[in-house]
Amino acid sequence: MQEEIVSKTKFEEEPESSVWGNFYKVVKWTATNLKFLFVPASRLDDLTIREFNYERNRSKRKFIRRFKSVLTIVGILLVFFIATLAVFPHWLAPYTFADANAVLTGSWGPPSDLNLLGKTKFGRDVLTRLIFGARTSLTVALPAIAFSVVFGVMVGVIAAYYGGWVDAVIMRIIDIFLAFPSLILALVFVVVLGNAFGTGPKIDYIMLAWGILGIPYYSRLIRGNVLQAKELPYIQAARVAGAGNGRIMFKHILPNVIQPIIISVTFDIGGVILSLAGLSFLGFSDTRMIDWGNEIAEGRQYLYIAPWASLWPGLLILLAVLGFMLLGDGLRDALDPRLKNL
Amino acid sequence: MSLLKYIFKRLLAAIPVIFGVMTLTFILSRFMPGDPVLAYLPEGKIDWDLYEQLKRNMGLYDPLHIQYFRYLGDIFVGNWGVSQSIARGMPVWTLIMLKLPRTADIALFSIIIAAAVGIKTGIISASHRNKGRDTVLRGITLVGVALPVFFLGMLLQYTLGYLIRIDGVAIFPSTGFKTIIYTDPPAVTGFRIIDALISGQFYMVTDYLYHLVLPVFCLSFISLASIVRQTRSSMLEVLEQDYIRTARAKGCKEKDVINTHAKKNAMIPTVTIIGLGFGSLLTGAVLTETTFGLAGMGQLLIDAISNSDYWVLNGLVFFFALVFISINLITDVLYGILDPRIRY
Repeated sequence: MQEEIVSKTKFEEEPESSVWGNFYKVVKWTATNLKFLFVPASRLDDLTIREFNYERNRSKRKFIRRFKSVLTIVGILLVFFIATLAVFPHWLAPYTFADANAVLTGSWGPPSDLNLLGKTKFGRDVLTRLIFGARTSLTVALPAIAFSVVFGVMVGVIAAYYGGWVDAVIMRIIDIFLAFPSLILALVFVVVLGNAFGTGPKIDYIMLAWGILGIPYYSRLIRGNVLQAKELPYIQAARVAGAGNGRIMFKHILPNVIQPIIISVTFDIGGVILSLAGLSFLGFSDTRMIDWGNEIAEGRQYLYIAPWASLWPGLLILLAVLGFMLLGDGLRDALDPRLKNL
Repeated sequence: MSLLKYIFKRLLAAIPVIFGVMTLTFILSRFMPGDPVLAYLPEGKIDWDLYEQLKRNMGLYDPLHIQYFRYLGDIFVGNWGVSQSIARGMPVWTLIMLKLPRTADIALFSIIIAAAVGIKTGIISASHRNKGRDTVLRGITLVGVALPVFFLGMLLQYTLGYLIRIDGVAIFPSTGFKTIIYTDPPAVTGFRIIDALISGQFYMVTDYLYHLVLPVFCLSFISLASIVRQTRSSMLEVLEQDYIRTARAKGCKEKDVINTHAKKNAMIPTVTIIGLGFGSLLTGAVLTETTFGLAGMGQLLIDAISNSDYWVLNGLVFFFALVFISINLITDVLYGILDPRIRY
């Protein structure tokens, strides 16, 4: 087998480095890789030894395994839908952003030809506000989660790696933060931050509050895995080779324990969107911004007269969170190590 | 004996957490908006001498560490401050105890229904894996996990409370605890259903239960969804184990296999989820009470923030944390009872 591989290795002459030569190389690389990914039993003729070993150890096809379940495809489509709404609102919305914030006539009007989903408080179009609301949800969720993942992973890895009193102190502090129900602590944080900076609650403080509140969760999540990975022999080997603590922590342990974090991130984006909706529904988020929760809170008094103003934002919250949760479920099934040999 | 030692160790571990929680609430309360002294003064022109005197009496001029230790002492004694704006002059502890039974009604009903129905449904879903029942249940629970509580509440309010009417009267009342013109029974325990039962006014019992249906359904649906999902996945893991295969090979009936062998082992992660679900139940209670217009602890929290009544806010946040810590303690103890490996 080994001789076959070595003899099949073709040493191509380097083509002249023109633009078309490089372009052809890229196209050929993409085509062969696509063929390998999508056609299940195809083999590549010109695998080098290194690529062969790489393929043997880690199958690229697990990305395609994710598409096996219908629900996961639905989740990916939903996430794309929400992301498209968030990134391209000015092209997709029937009215402009200024119109979505203006004071027009005909408040709480029924759905008509001009306003497909009806009108809300000051005669603004519901559909436009829904589309701009997607942008707000993702804008708050993604930086908050990025903040909590980065700092949570650092704190968790440091706590679990050093052990001893560092671990005990950090774990106590994390327990204190986890002793509160999250929405209540977030509520208090947003109010406190808004007051400390002199203004009312603003979108930056909401992001910061959710970022800080996510740190204990990720620290605890990664701490268990790091505690297990710390005992493995390759860590001792790295130390013998002369690696310092920082290098071992972030170059050796971290890539191997990151997997549950990835799954948790997708679930958590849904969670933050849901919690942001709850916060705005109670009226404690930035009321100037177009947010689904704010829509529901405004339309609540007119629920019987104009249900379209409150029920469509709620449905969209459901779709957004559902999409991320389906995506997380699909990722978790795809990355499950027990299914690696299938 | 080692179960008692385990419980004792858990209690000891909870004490520094409680201290930390008190410290955190103290730090947060010092940054709250609103001036407590200003709310304490009578209306009208502000008498600055009285302001200074009150501030000195309340101890707000002392150095921070002295304030902190006085705060700790007050909490232990039970003097959690006096409410300023919501109910002027009422001690915070009394206010919380007044509103507690109303939230406890909803929360206890929801958790009991969610746990009982959820575990049973999860087991059914796992035993009929990938067949019709399982697919339908998975779809429903998936929607239930992603659903905001207030959206479900408003949907139910609109459809069952307004759209669908029999003879012009809606099926379920959409807001409130009771029909307004009825009077409360005399308060013996504080829990109104028990009070109504004691005083013999059965029409009040049915009235309370009738008004509780929609809020309890909302809250329990959300908790139910996550409990069913967790039970299903842990049940599937247990059913793949070797000892289940042995039990089946020995000729056990399927229902005995599930009830006697599999169920207890599958309960362990579910108990954790139920304990965590209690925390989300508290937050859900805040949202549900706002949606349905019930005057419980959640509504009290919102009012306290809106009116800058920071003694009440302090006491309430601390109370929520205490409840959550005790629920986690009970969950840990249940964990130890269910899985003997943990205690040794």
